[in-house]
Amino acid sequence: MSDLVISVRDLTRSYEMGAEVVQALRGLDLEIRRNEYVAIMGPSGSGKSTLMNMIGCLDTPSSGEYWLNGQEVSRMGDDALARVRNKEIGFVFQTFNLLPRATALHNVELPLVYAGTTARERRARGEEALARVGLADRMHHRPNELSGGQRQRVAIARALVNRPSILLADEPTGNLDSATSDEIMRVFEALHAEGQTVIMVTHEAEIAAHAKRVVVLRDGRVESDVLNQPKAA
Amino acid sequence: MSFREALRLALQSILGSKLRSFFTLLGIIVSVGFLVAVVAIIQGMNAYVKENITGAVIGTNAFQVRRTPVSFGLMDDEEVRSIAKRPLVTTDDAEVVRRALPDAEAVAFQSGWPTPTSDLTYRNQRIGDVLVFGITPAYQIVRDYVFAAGDPMSEPDVTGRRMVAIVGFDVADKLFGDPEKAIGKAIRIAGREFTIKGVVAKKGKVLGQSFDGFALIPYSTFESIYGRRKTTVVSVKMRDADEVEPAMARAQEAMRLAHKLRPNEPDDFTVDKADALVAFWKRLTKVLFTIVPAVVCIGIVVGGIVIMNIMLMTVNERTREIGVRKSLGATRRDIQRQFLVEAATLSFFGGILGVVAGWSLALLVSSFTPLPARVTLWSISLALALGIGTGLIFGVYPASRAAKLDPMTALRAE
Repeated sequence: MSDLVISVRDLTRSYEMGAEVVQALRGLDLEIRRNEYVAIMGPSGSGKSTLMNMIGCLDTPSSGEYWLNGQEVSRMGDDALARVRNKEIGFVFQTFNLLPRATALHNVELPLVYAGTTARERRARGEEALARVGLADRMHHRPNELSGGQRQRVAIARALVNRPSILLADEPTGNLDSATSDEIMRVFEALHAEGQTVIMVTHEAEIAAHAKRVVVLRDGRVESDVLNQPKAA
Repeated sequence: MSFREALRLALQSILGSKLRSFFTLLGIIVSVGFLVAVVAIIQGMNAYVKENITGAVIGTNAFQVRRTPVSFGLMDDEEVRSIAKRPLVTTDDAEVVRRALPDAEAVAFQSGWPTPTSDLTYRNQRIGDVLVFGITPAYQIVRDYVFAAGDPMSEPDVTGRRMVAIVGFDVADKLFGDPEKAIGKAIRIAGREFTIKGVVAKKGKVLGQSFDGFALIPYSTFESIYGRRKTTVVSVKMRDADEVEPAMARAQEAMRLAHKLRPNEPDDFTVDKADALVAFWKRLTKVLFTIVPAVVCIGIVVGGIVIMNIMLMTVNERTREIGVRKSLGATRRDIQRQFLVEAATLSFFGGILGVVAGWSLALLVSSFTPLPARVTLWSISLALALGIGTGLIFGVYPASRAAKLDPMTALRAE
């Protein structure tokens, strides 16, 4: 039971778009255990972005429950959600979302700034996280001095620096060429091998194939939830 | 996020776009600079009036018995009418004061304002607008005159209604080039011939006004040319500053006795010392001190609104950054603090630049005009406090706008 990182029950989310009410999630159930590697797929409008925002605590459901690591996140206020995002979730975005004026190291340190970590420890942990993604020699470069793949690795280091329960990636290879995509996927696989729980939202089947489990959404519900056959290594 | 971190971010953002920051701050810089410069000039004038003018106009350790107070110009009609009814201050009054104050260093009698000016000619040379004073010899002691050449005016000069003159340094310098050469020369003042008896050493300039362009003639001679003045003054010089106050009281008492005033009657004369001139000046500057804050306030409010606008623009431009920060765990407070510190730091820079600008302006004014300037610590502190305060107040709205941004929407912003 303690193995359960994410437990979503009967989750709904509706948006008002002018006069219309759009039902993005219509009673979705999902459970994810520690050290799973899950890809969430689905066509556009299936609700995968909404679900990703819910899991990432960027948005709260209209109804239903969301338990993250034994905490009921669905009833939390703004500041409590900010703390959960800080401690439990490591985001990796399609557009990297690095701060352009800050160095790689400073970007990686950001979550620690909001966690109230001391400057000395921030630096040590930032350097460690960058070394983990193979960028120990690029610490003092700014994002515009790095390649796309390197930028995404900085973003991954940033996501990992607070030792989150889940690594939540939203189309992490959407802005990368296929060679670089493979490089990023290898980083994810390595992290998963080290025990990290990875959740990845993607519409690309090739990328989803890297995951161990694939959840497909349609019309705001889970359409299929299957384990990938282990690839012949 | 710690304050230090917020400050670091603020500096990074402000220095990252220096020109924009500068233009944002122009309103604050101008207002604060104006404040510092004007206060510096007023303060400089205050000190100057206290240190120089009072000594030059009234004399050190001196006071005057006058018909009209020093601050005559600021009185209302009622007071002016009652003063107009006062009797003249005469040589008899000077004698009364002299008897009441045997310990005085000098008691002088002199013609009052408006001091007549006259052309002063020597052969075919002419100097215009020379101030002509009618005095008794004691006046030269009251004014601490030192003689560059010749002798001071004497008592027989007055009693004999002699046609002798003591001239200021500039007069002697312009006509003769050398004070020594001036002695014994015949010059014409107001069309009459006078012999130069003495030349007073250089007194220098006060507020660009030379104090060396005068001619002193015996009071008796003065009266026969210009007639009796209604503003004659008795000047008293004491040996020590501490003696001035008690001497003023004694002079007042003696004057009341001489004028046969009953106890319930007000004085029909005024006893003023140098402080009266300072007080007069302070009343003048008080007006400035009420107008300046109003002007500065308007400037600061306009400057603050500009800062608010730019901060709103900044928040808009950095919506995505705010989204990223929020996704990484920044709370509303963190974001609020970041932008509030940025606004306050920005306007603090405005305060600093304003102080620098104001200070430079004050220096410029004091070096190119006779106005002295004195920059005071309190005006600098006030300027800096205004700087920070403006940023804090006008930064609240943009900062809370930033803090309230929804992380999901902010992340999707372009």
